[in-house]
Amino acid sequence: MRYEYTVETEDLAKYYQLGEVVVKALDGIDLRIRRGEYLSIMGPSGSGKTTLFNMIGGLDRPTRGRVYIDEVDISKLDAYELAWLRCRKIGYIFQTFNLIPVLTALENVTLPMIFAGVPREERMRRAVEILNRVGLGDRLHHKPAELSGGQQQRVAIARALANDPVIVLADEPTGNLDLHTGLEIINMLRQLNVEKGVTIFTATHDLKMIDVSDRIVWIRDGKVDRIEKRVDVVVGMEEI
Amino acid sequence: MLIILDPVMSKSTVESREVKFPPSEAFRFSIESIKRRFVRALITAVSIILGIAFYVGLRTMSDIMLSIYGTSEAARSYQLWMAIISLIVCAVGILNSMLMAVTERTKEIGTMKCLGAMDGHILMIFMFEAILVGVIGGFIGAVVGWLAGVLIYIGEYMNVIFSSALMTSYIMRMGEGILIAMILSVGATIYPAYHAASMDPADALRFEL
Ligand SMILES: Nc1ncnc2c1ncn2[C@@H]1O[C@H](COP(=O)(O)OP(=O)(O)OP(=O)(O)O)[C@@H](O)[C@H]1O
Ligand SMILES: [Mg+2]
Repeated sequence: MRYEYTVETEDLAKYYQLGEVVVKALDGIDLRIRRGEYLSIMGPSGSGKTTLFNMIGGLDRPTRGRVYIDEVDISKLDAYELAWLRCRKIGYIFQTFNLIPVLTALENVTLPMIFAGVPREERMRRAVEILNRVGLGDRLHHKPAELSGGQQQRVAIARALANDPVIVLADEPTGNLDLHTGLEIINMLRQLNVEKGVTIFTATHDLKMIDVSDRIVWIRDGKVDRIEKRVDVVVGMEEI
Repeated sequence: MLIILDPVMSKSTVESREVKFPPSEAFRFSIESIKRRFVRALITAVSIILGIAFYVGLRTMSDIMLSIYGTSEAARSYQLWMAIISLIVCAVGILNSMLMAVTERTKEIGTMKCLGAMDGHILMIFMFEAILVGVIGGFIGAVVGWLAGVLIYIGEYMNVIFSSALMTSYIMRMGEGILIAMILSVGATIYPAYHAASMDPADALRFEL
C-alpha cells in the first residue's frame, strides 16, 4: 500500500524542563511530508531541528502531539514495532556519521540487515552492492577511523539504505564536511530521491541543500516560520 | 476490503514486524568487540585477574597450611576474611572499569538502536562480553593465584602439596575463582548496560564523555 504522506506531524511539541525554566524546543509543529518528497528544515542554531529529527525518527518522545509514519501513529507502537520501524522504514544519517568504530565499512552496512533478518550471504552481497554504488567498493574492509569524513558519510548513507527505507532522515549530513564533499553527499541524497523515490528529510544550515529540496521549512524557536517551494526561496542573511 | 491487506493493519503479517538478533549474532558481535577493543578488555581483565589471583592464592595457601599444620578454626576464618577483603577491593576496580567500558559506548548503543536493536539485544551483547572477560580473566587469575600459593611451599613440602586430597581442593578453589570472576564481571556490567540500553536513542546519541 502506498501512502500519500510518509510523515505527518500534528501539533508536535517537545519541552525541556531546565530547573525553573521551560525550554520549548518544539512548540506545535504541523507538517506533512509527501511520499517521494525532498524536504529540508532550515533555521538558526537552537531552533529545534535536531529535536524534530529525533521526534520524526522515533528516537525521542514528544511532550505533546503526534507523529505518523505511513499513517501509523508511532506513539502507539510497542517496543518491537518501534524497533522494526527504525530498522525497516527509516534510514538515519547524522552530522557525526555515527558509524560503529570497531566494525569495517562492510560490517557497518550489514548490521541493520542482521536486525532485519536478512540471511548472511544475501547481506554480504547487498552490502557490497550498495557500497559500490556510493563509490566505496575499494574500502569495504576499512574501519571508520581509516576513512575520510566524506567516505564515512557515504558509508553512513549506504547503511541507511541497507533495508530499503521509505524515508531517509538526515541531521546536518554535510555539517562536518567541506564544500565539495558536502555537495557530493547532497547530490547523492538527491539522486536517491529521484531514482528510488525515497522520501528525504534533512535538517540543515547548508544553503547548498536548497537547490535540491522540493520544499524548505524554516523554523524558529520551535515553530514553523514559513514553508517555501524551491522556486520561491529568498534567504535573509540572519537566517543561516 | 483494502484496509485488511494493509501490512500495518493486517494481523497475519504481525510476526514479520519484528527485528531479529539471534544469540549467535550477539555472541559474534561480542567476540569481535573484545578483540578489536583489546586494550579496554585487558584493563578490565587485569582487575579480575588480580582479584581472583589474590583470592585463589590465599585460599590455596590456607588449604595447604591446614594439611601441614592442622590450622585452627580461628586462623582459617581469619584467612578466609583476608581472601574476601582482597576480593572486595578488586571488585571496586572491576566495577569502575566496567562502568567506563559501557559508558564510553553509550553513543554506539544509541546508534545500534537506530538500526533496529532492542534493549534486550544490547544487554545480550554486553552480557556475553562480561561472561567472556570474566571467564578468561578468572581462569588466568586462578592459575596465577594457585601457582603463587603452591610455589611458597614447594621446597619443603613437595610431597604434601601434591597429595590427592589437596589436588581436589585446588580444583575446587580454581573453579570457585572462575565462578566468582564471572559473577563479578556480569554483576558490574549489568546495571550500566541496562541503564544505557534503556535510554531513548536521542539521549544516548547526544551523550558525550
Ligand atoms: N536534552 C535537552 N535538554 C534540554 N534542552 C535541550 C535538549 N535538547 C535540546 N534542547 C534545547 O532545545 C532547543 C532546540 O535544540 P535543537 O538541538 O533541536 O536545535 P537545532 O536546531 O538542532 O540546533 P543546531 O542547528 O545548533 O543543531 C535548544 O534551545 C536546546 O538548548
Ligand atoms: Mg541540531
